Amino acid sequence: MVKPRVYRSQALVLKSAPMGEAGLLVTLYTRDAGKLKAVVRGARRPTSKMVGHLEPLNMVEMSLARSRPGGIDTITQIQILESFSSLKADLDAVSRGIYLAELVDGFGAEGSPNQELYSLLVETLQFLNGSSDADSTLRYFELHLLKCSGFMPQLYRCVECREELSPGKHLFSPDVGGTLCLKCTPPGARVMRLSVQTLKVLRFIDRASLEELSMLRINAGLAVEIKNLLSVALKYWLDREIHSKTFIEHLEHSQKAGV
Amino acid sequence: MSTERIPSASPSVSRLIDELNKLPGVGPKSAQRLAYYVIRLPAEEAHSLVEAIMAVKEKIIFCSVCQNMTDTDPCPICDDSRRDRSQICVVEEPLDVLALERTHCHRGLYHVLHGVISPMNGIGPEDLRMKELLPRLEDGLVQEVIIATNPTLEGEATAMYIQRQIANLKVKVTHLARGLPVGGDLEYADELTLSRAFRSRSEL
Ligand SMILES: [Zn+2]
Ligand SMILES: [Zn+2]
Repeated sequence: MVKPRVYRSQALVLKSAPMGEAGLLVTLYTRDAGKLKAVVRGARRPTSKMVGHLEPLNMVEMSLARSRPGGIDTITQIQILESFSSLKADLDAVSRGIYLAELVDGFGAEGSPNQELYSLLVETLQFLNGSSDADSTLRYFELHLLKCSGFMPQLYRCVECREELSPGKHLFSPDVGGTLCLKCTPPGARVMRLSVQTLKVLRFIDRASLEELSMLRINAGLAVEIKNLLSVALKYWLDREIHSKTFIEHLEHSQKAGV
Repeated sequence: MSTERIPSASPSVSRLIDELNKLPGVGPKSAQRLAYYVIRLPAEEAHSLVEAIMAVKEKIIFCSVCQNMTDTDPCPICDDSRRDRSQICVVEEPLDVLALERTHCHRGLYHVLHGVISPMNGIGPEDLRMKELLPRLEDGLVQEVIIATNPTLEGEATAMYIQRQIANLKVKVTHLARGLPVGGDLEYADELTLSRAFRSRSEL
């Protein structure tokens, strides 16, 4: 069967970069086709009406012309469905939005549809667009991103002896894929201490909705432990630094310093 | 994008094409066209081109006040006693200074950041000429900072960041009006649109 030359797609714009004389290379996460790189010819000319639509963190509906195999599809028409304007009008919120986009760019694969990941991204952006409890929202996104990408850490059994975890102290290791009981430490694996509260909150994040999670009060020490643990797991699977995290941390520090 | 190139027997021609291809906005086809143009140039014109490139590399420095590119320090704008010292217009790139100068709207000084905050690319405030701005606002002379970053996601984020940095100084912060197309580039805006956006700037 021959695929139609022109097709429509709903997507979230992750990033864009200049290409050629006046073109733009856009990285999108589509609802039906996973990550997609597409080009818009002449987008940077002042007469082009498309460039504003292609801003990162816009949810768009577009028409694309399929290229020859191995080439890059061309966006021929585009319309904004949601631009998340309150998120973009707030420096802290927009820096978190960019962080989500970078993670999806890192975990999403071209030609590999993942509607769950698309919904997670849209739902989280919608939530950040209207909510102030941003930290737990990011943790929710991180754990569920791992989950729908197939990297969900095991939180209920020891990954070594497969025994159900009893209440108490445990260990966590991204290298082996999750929690370990104290007697099972594989040689050479990096392990982190895992308190019983941290494990409880992680399980809660796994099962709760964003609304339910935003009602949970997590103390500062516990929040840091969960943040570090998820950050180690993300970095392990992504195998590189997450750049936009640095800017979020920079903003947090300068806020604390009262600048 | 195809990157096939016209077969060339000469490694020196290939090298020229490769070098030209590194320039912004020059694709492989344009690089070939430019290379064959250079090959046909009379020797003295080719020399003159090389000299112009080298002169820029040797003479151009950054103005210690506004950070714009210049061959004298301070630059002619910072050195001009007729300019209004109560206003500083913050832009991303030296080309934006040229674009704004063409509109004749701004009689004050400039501050050139040389980029925008781009979190995904690991470019933070410390990678820009941002810290040079704050000391300029401390002498009490400056009353208004006009932020003229591009109306893109990263340009807006940079504007918000600057605004946060100078929020507790007694300086008015304004932002160019939204008449500019979102996602666009100041450099490409026509003079009318740009001067209209400049005149109807609003306080942040
Ligand atoms: Zn075990
Ligand atoms: Zn200067």
